[in-house]
Amino acid sequence: MKERLAELVSESCDGELTPADVLAATVPLAYLGVTSLAQMRLIDAVEREYGVEVDLSGDVTFLDSVDGLAAWVEAARSPA
Amino acid sequence: MTRAVFSGGRTGTAPFTWGQRAIWEAIERTRPDDHYFNFGRVLPLGARPASVSSALWALGRLAERHESLRTLVRDGGQLLKAGGELSVRTGDDPDTLLAAMAAEPFDYETEWPLRAGLVLSEAGEVTHLVLVFCHLAADGLGAEQAIRDLRLLLLRGGAPAARPPQPMDIARWQGSEAGRRVAAEAAAYWEQAHRRIPPTMFHVPSGAGETPPIWRASLRSPAVDLAAQRIAVRHGTSTSTVLLTAVTALVSEMTGHDTVAMLPIVGNRFRADTRTAVTTMSQEGLFVLDVEKVRFEELLSLAGAAALRAYRSAYHDPADRSAALRRVAAERGTDVHPWCCFNDMRFADNPVYRDETLIRRALGESALSWPMSQDQLNCRFCVHLSGTMDVSVTADTRWLSRADMERFLHGLETMLVEAALR
Repeated sequence: MKERLAELVSESCDGELTPADVLAATVPLAYLGVTSLAQMRLIDAVEREYGVEVDLSGDVTFLDSVDGLAAWVEAARSPA
Repeated sequence: MTRAVFSGGRTGTAPFTWGQRAIWEAIERTRPDDHYFNFGRVLPLGARPASVSSALWALGRLAERHESLRTLVRDGGQLLKAGGELSVRTGDDPDTLLAAMAAEPFDYETEWPLRAGLVLSEAGEVTHLVLVFCHLAADGLGAEQAIRDLRLLLLRGGAPAARPPQPMDIARWQGSEAGRRVAAEAAAYWEQAHRRIPPTMFHVPSGAGETPPIWRASLRSPAVDLAAQRIAVRHGTSTSTVLLTAVTALVSEMTGHDTVAMLPIVGNRFRADTRTAVTTMSQEGLFVLDVEKVRFEELLSLAGAAALRAYRSAYHDPADRSAALRRVAAERGTDVHPWCCFNDMRFADNPVYRDETLIRRALGESALSWPMSQDQLNCRFCVHLSGTMDVSVTADTRWLSRADMERFLHGLETMLVEAALR
């Protein structure tokens, strides 16, 4: 899943980062140029791909790393 | 005057899309000064001038490809026509031609929402194409897409094969169950936020209303651009968020409100099904920040999540938003509307960690001007960003004096430069 998420991040920022860059990131993705506009595209892509809904009223720091995204998607998909 | 002919498309009627509805309401409230919303683009052909016939051919294909360019207003909705003729003006200077073409409001029910012009060389070749858009047909990003397609039509004789999203289809999706779900979530956010924000941002009469009341002050400031870049890199954010946050902090300072609500104009092209559409997708989002006495740097760390909520709230049905605002007005016993908007019209946001000396030196290049005044504006305080960097504030002087408009622009520059050099 992490590889696929890294691809989605890369597409969301128009290839500014490659999937490899995204996977290798050691700082929050925002510091590498994933802007808030790219984050919005990423949210749309993740919602479509995994059939989940992102609630923006809570903590959204999971958008800042592939590990965070993967954990969030797993939690969102598992039955409550 | 010459003509571009187009034909063979589908016809139909549909409700307005949310974006069309929003701009239509703004146009209606701005009449008779609604030429305010016209905007243009120049496509220079550089070393490869075109013949008049190929330029007219490309314009015809552009109108066939994008249904928005042959959609008229009828009964408060869309009327798509299959074909027709576009009058094309000619001139010898692109900027003069653009200004002349943009000067008059569109006749929304009968005039095609695209005006086209050709700049001709002495040899009679086309050196520039000039387009002026009715804002119902395109917004800034939509116009960029149209220009890209026009360039490809001229260079290669064809546009990309993929059929772009069309406003009639977008309107149908917005009316579907999935569209209504998105609308309901956005409306709930608008309603909840309007229960707690101040009734309006600029609530104290300035006592310095001018005739006409609406003025624009514009600060050309490379220092603002460089400082915003340095701050953006340092805080892992975009210059757009830095500038939105700085404007919000200054509005708090000027008005005394601890909670500031701004309406950023959002492109609404996050969704894969809208990205390449030539139409007007842009709408106001709602950005709310509790400024209180927090330092600018701390505000920035709160602004990222607030910006995401604002961006999502921008994709809403204006009818739902109006209904939510009516309910809140009844509950609170007062109308609630920020009348305070922020429009970042730049396309690129690739910040670089700029050198301190460069920023200090750039301060000497700042220049203020008063490019415009008019009678009507559908707002009290509108900030526009363009280029690298022009920051303008268009305000109703009955609520913000010209002296305060000037103070705002210089204050923004000072705030950003100080934060960048800290």
